[in-house]
Amino acid sequence: MKKRIFANIAAGITAAAMIAAVGSCGSGSQAETTAAAPEPAAADNSLQKVLDDKQLILGLDASFPPMGFTNDANEIVGFDIDVAQEVCDRMGVTLVKQPINWDNKEEDLNVGKIDCIWNGMSINDSRKQVMNLSDPYMNNEMIFTVPKDSGITSMDDLKGKTVGVQSGSSAEEILMASDIYADITVTALEDNVTLLNQMELGFSDAVFLDSVVANYLITENSKDYVILPGNLEAEEYAVGFRKNDQALRDEVQRILSEMKADGKLGEISTKWFGSDITTVK
Amino acid sequence: MTSEQIMTLFGLMLEYTVPTLKIFAFTLLYSIPLGMVVALLKMCRFKPVSWLTNIYILIMRGTPLLLQLIVAQYSVPYIIRSDICPQFLKDMLGGVDIRSDSYTFNMMLIAFVLNYAAYFAEIFRGGIESIPKGQYEAAGALGFSRLQTFFRIILPQVIKRVVPASSNEIITLVKDTSLASAIPYMEIMYIAKKQVPLYASLLPLFMAGAFYFVFATVLTALFSFIEKKLDYYR
Amino acid sequence: MAMLEVKKLSKSFGELEVLRDISFDVEKGEAVAVIGPSGSGKSTLLRCINQLEKASGGTIRVCGTDMFAPNEKGKSVYADTKTLREIRLKTGLVFQNFNLFPHMTVLKNITEAPVCVLKKSKTEAEETAMELLRKMGLESKARSYPCELSGGQQQRVSIARALALDPDILFFDEPTSALDPELTGEILKVIKELASEGMTMVIVTHEMGFARDVADKIIFMEGGYIVEQGDSAQLFGENASERVKQFLQRFNNL
Repeated sequence: MKKRIFANIAAGITAAAMIAAVGSCGSGSQAETTAAAPEPAAADNSLQKVLDDKQLILGLDASFPPMGFTNDANEIVGFDIDVAQEVCDRMGVTLVKQPINWDNKEEDLNVGKIDCIWNGMSINDSRKQVMNLSDPYMNNEMIFTVPKDSGITSMDDLKGKTVGVQSGSSAEEILMASDIYADITVTALEDNVTLLNQMELGFSDAVFLDSVVANYLITENSKDYVILPGNLEAEEYAVGFRKNDQALRDEVQRILSEMKADGKLGEISTKWFGSDITTVK
Repeated sequence: MTSEQIMTLFGLMLEYTVPTLKIFAFTLLYSIPLGMVVALLKMCRFKPVSWLTNIYILIMRGTPLLLQLIVAQYSVPYIIRSDICPQFLKDMLGGVDIRSDSYTFNMMLIAFVLNYAAYFAEIFRGGIESIPKGQYEAAGALGFSRLQTFFRIILPQVIKRVVPASSNEIITLVKDTSLASAIPYMEIMYIAKKQVPLYASLLPLFMAGAFYFVFATVLTALFSFIEKKLDYYR
Repeated sequence: MAMLEVKKLSKSFGELEVLRDISFDVEKGEAVAVIGPSGSGKSTLLRCINQLEKASGGTIRVCGTDMFAPNEKGKSVYADTKTLREIRLKTGLVFQNFNLFPHMTVLKNITEAPVCVLKKSKTEAEETAMELLRKMGLESKARSYPCELSGGQQQRVSIARALALDPDILFFDEPTSALDPELTGEILKVIKELASEGMTMVIVTHEMGFARDVADKIIFMEGGYIVEQGDSAQLFGENASERVKQFLQRFNNL
């Protein structure tokens, strides 16, 4: 007990020093992490550590229905959570759901606050570089949704209209890189729900977002939105691990394949999406 | 939203006012005395102490609290990994479990306390420096020791002078506690944000807003009462 | 025994010499007035004796105890902290601006030092305080705060506060300068009474008439020097130096 208090005090002092240091080297700390991250790959005890600790800490944003989100009792639920729970059961460890700040997810993974990121995370190049990603487990499309009586029926009708998109998301990147970008006005906001509300209130004509999210929000809240046919780009979801945690990544991947084979994955997918839409091999 | 949903939501949010109040109370508990110490250090005649204190205050007031909260969270693992960190410090910090809830809370509290202590220090310094020199001279001529002079003559007058500025700061803290949601720490703002996608409604945010409003209003009333109480002399 | 002995006292702020070669004695029961033009060093002299300013050289001895005196090497040094504290309790000081503690009642202003410093019981300190207030004609103001009193009343409280520590010698630093002219009388009356009771006092003042009436000895200062000192007959009489006559002349013409 005494030692812990001491350690806490020491931690406090170092935190003070850190906060002091940030003023002088805001960018320096970033460089430090990337430099410190690749540890000697010789001993990969990542799987053993999880088994020894008897817990897998899953980091998530907890506001991405239906993959991983918070229910009305402040419990974290969703498709990803159900799958992760089953994986942990088969590994014989406890699943710990750790909410994180999505902006800092790479840091949380690096410093070991969490063991994996599992929250409907799209695969992209930068994530491939800093994480050890699982095989893709689900396809996702980026689609436009509009109010039912808007008169907009195809992507061509969007010319000259205002489209909302989540700022900093892969949806925003895709939209900006697309041909249609030149013909529309884009408003970027922090979350999809606010964007949909704004569309309902007439601030925008359409919202560009993940089909998985759109489908869920529309059915769950019985909204009068329709999804325009076609999509801009297909994406895939994957689970992210620390770069060197190969053993843990492989074990989770093995269990996912096993679950696909014995039908458990299909069962969970049916519960959330009405059919098996997973792409695990 | 149905009224049943609203009641569920209200119950949940009410439950998480407790962690918000916890951040608020602990921050005040530590930052006010620390602020007084910092104020005295800044007025220290030994110049290096005063300069160091100045740098601390400059950084705390010159960088966003949100940034300080995030840096505090990552401080321990960063320091353990850094090359210049001496071994004894590594051993000491090695015992800290960065995955524990107490670590998250303590580091957050440290950032809040250090930030608010800097603001309080400037308020207190202003208060102490506004006390006329004659008060010290009178106390000295009457034989009061330095400690007696500070605690019996100066401090009571400083308190009255710093109440208006401090109450401003304290009411700001009510709203600043919501920054904890970015760490994330489960307080009322975190809950509100996470309930938004569930109901596809902004009502949770409005409810959180109402809570902060009520809390701040109660404090405003409390401080105007205190100011009136302290108004027995001019 | 002299209650206060000052020998060859000097004081400078950097290059600026504000006190030079100041020597005088105050005997028990004596009332000494210090007069002179503004900036002559009167207040600085008082502040040096009361440890509010650090003297540069010479000797200050209070009630036979060296407060500031030359050591073996001939450099003047202060006594140790304990001695300085003891000396502080033997002297009382009344300020030009009263410097009452605004957050305390009149009674508390007077009892605070006896209780905290002299460790007297609260009851005893309050009895003494009420007696002093009665003497000052302020008995009814015991529960008031300083801001509720007139300047003259505040100054009487500050005199009572100084007297509550039962000092052997009492200093006044221009006690009436911050007061409206019609209020100076009440303060001068109090000081006169104290003089008649045999209180040892040093009074820096601009009230020439008062100095002549009350003081057993008058010190005339100018430019940091004592130009002349003696009884009032000597300073206000025909034999006074030209400079003193000139100064008093100007006052009389005002």
